[in-house]
Amino acid sequence: MAEVILSNVSKRFGADVALENVSMKIPDGSFVVLLGPTGAGKTTTLRMISGLDHPDTGDITIGGQSAKGQTPAERNVAMVFQQYSLYPHLTVRQNLEFPLKSPLLRTSKVDMERKVAEVAGTLQISHKLGNKATELSGGEMQRVSIGRALVRDPAIFLMDEPLSSLDAKLRSDLRIELKSIQANANATLLYVTHDQIEAMTMATHVGVLDHGRLVQFGSPREIYENPVSIYSASRLGQPRINILPADVFAGAPNGASSIGLRPEQIHQGEGEESLVQRVEHLGDQTRLHLSFKDHDIITVSDAHTPLKSGDIVRIRPQNPFYFDASGARIL
Amino acid sequence: MASPIKRAKGLSDRAIAWLFVGPSIFLLLAVNIFPLIWTINLSFTNFKANRNRDVEYIGLRNYERILTDSDTWLTMQATAHFLFWTIFFQVLIGFALAYLINKKFKGNDLWTTIIVLPMMLSPAVVGNFWTFLYQPQIGLFNYMITFFTGGDPSSFSMIGEVALAPWAIVIVDTWMWTPFVMLICLAGLRSIPDSIYEAAECDRASKWRQFWTITIPMVLPFLMLAVLFRGIENFKMFDLVVQLTGGGPGSTTEVTSINLKREAFEKWRTGYASAYAVILFVTVFGLASIYVKALNKVKDR
Repeated sequence: MAEVILSNVSKRFGADVALENVSMKIPDGSFVVLLGPTGAGKTTTLRMISGLDHPDTGDITIGGQSAKGQTPAERNVAMVFQQYSLYPHLTVRQNLEFPLKSPLLRTSKVDMERKVAEVAGTLQISHKLGNKATELSGGEMQRVSIGRALVRDPAIFLMDEPLSSLDAKLRSDLRIELKSIQANANATLLYVTHDQIEAMTMATHVGVLDHGRLVQFGSPREIYENPVSIYSASRLGQPRINILPADVFAGAPNGASSIGLRPEQIHQGEGEESLVQRVEHLGDQTRLHLSFKDHDIITVSDAHTPLKSGDIVRIRPQNPFYFDASGARIL
Repeated sequence: MASPIKRAKGLSDRAIAWLFVGPSIFLLLAVNIFPLIWTINLSFTNFKANRNRDVEYIGLRNYERILTDSDTWLTMQATAHFLFWTIFFQVLIGFALAYLINKKFKGNDLWTTIIVLPMMLSPAVVGNFWTFLYQPQIGLFNYMITFFTGGDPSSFSMIGEVALAPWAIVIVDTWMWTPFVMLICLAGLRSIPDSIYEAAECDRASKWRQFWTITIPMVLPFLMLAVLFRGIENFKMFDLVVQLTGGGPGSTTEVTSINLKREAFEKWRTGYASAYAVILFVTVFGLASIYVKALNKVKDR
């Protein structure tokens, strides 16, 4: 396991800027999650570190050594591809053994079998070891793809949306498994996802990418409680943060053009009146869709709230975020 | 349960189906199945198509004579030599060319077109041209060879010498049909997504190992298909060889189909030739069936 540092990495594909001046330190043993919509540069970042693509400018160091000009094999990275990229002519077992058979590793037959059995057990694919890689469901293929990375002990694990095609139950199982594997082995892991629950539960650090620029990097709590911009704030939180014009509530500071309100920043029971449009009972909580001065607000209420649509509820902001016209946070 | 609309037209679905399929079934029976059965029938007789005499059934005598005739085995050897070496060179060169073209260098499309040209020519034309190229005095082939090795261009004749003639036909067939093998290999190579190589790269497999554990196994079904096509084609090779050597010198390049044609339409031993044809048919059919089984196994793997 190793520390990975990106310094001023830029990459263009033709006229498109994929990454611009990204600097990031991925500490040894950390679990870093990259967040951002499609095209933000998440996958490009992984490919830069893996050595499948090379930065136009800037440098990447892995374990204190510059990776310039090194092949993926020399960098010793393990990657889980979004499109799985299994070897279709091999069985699941052969797929999992493939990285171990590298002459660079010299794994003994016994070790290989033990490792494969262990990983297959963790990923719940032991019964599929004899199957051909093409005879699997999407979720199974994805788990084999994760397994192919986990059998190794690389400098860094790079995972591109590794849980995206699993069902909800398996996803939450594997979330816990991955996190505990990473924590026990003290592995360094860079992880790309759209799923904010994965980001919140697994990450030690979160990096927020916007059009190729790293706009915020910090612990998930920090990103959640102290976002630098509207963009950053919208990455985390379920339901999403409500962004309203700053002047709908009194008390906005100078220069503020928007106010950001997470559900817990909306105090119910006092303040101004809003109309309940819809009530969603989710079991452990209830979501309220409110209409406030022609703006929609989604917030959370008690699971057994007596409120129903058409009711009036009073709300008041509580330590809200303020943003200026460009979307940057005003402190 | 025909619906009213169908009954109004007076034809059921099934009748219409027969109407469409009928002509092709009739043609198939008339030009394929009937001659086949008739050939099998004739192979048990002493029938000669150029004599008007009573046809006698002579049992398996024709088969016995063919299989114990040492000339038959010589033509079989000539065919086997031709078959083995053409496939060997075509697979080797065809795959190598496909591998290079697949590197997607600048102008690879133009090169593909140029390489594929020989395949588009008529075998008779190719045979004719190569007899000129093989000419000892004026032929380009002899000139090229002696340009590199030294010596007199007219000191050897590719199609006139017993030792060289079998290779002369191998060279021309390879020249003509390597592009075909290349195209099929290219299709196989293009079917392997880049992402699989990327995964192998991350799994620390060297280029050499990637070639043997990914490229070759994934192209193999395509390659085997190309070998099947070329094998069947070359087993019944006729036009090219007739144009080039006419089976000579002596009968060194007399492949089975030329031998068969001589028996049937020069010696007019129709019964004998029919038995010969049945033997060849069974051989090709048997070998191809075994081969297709192997091919399917490779595909399932």
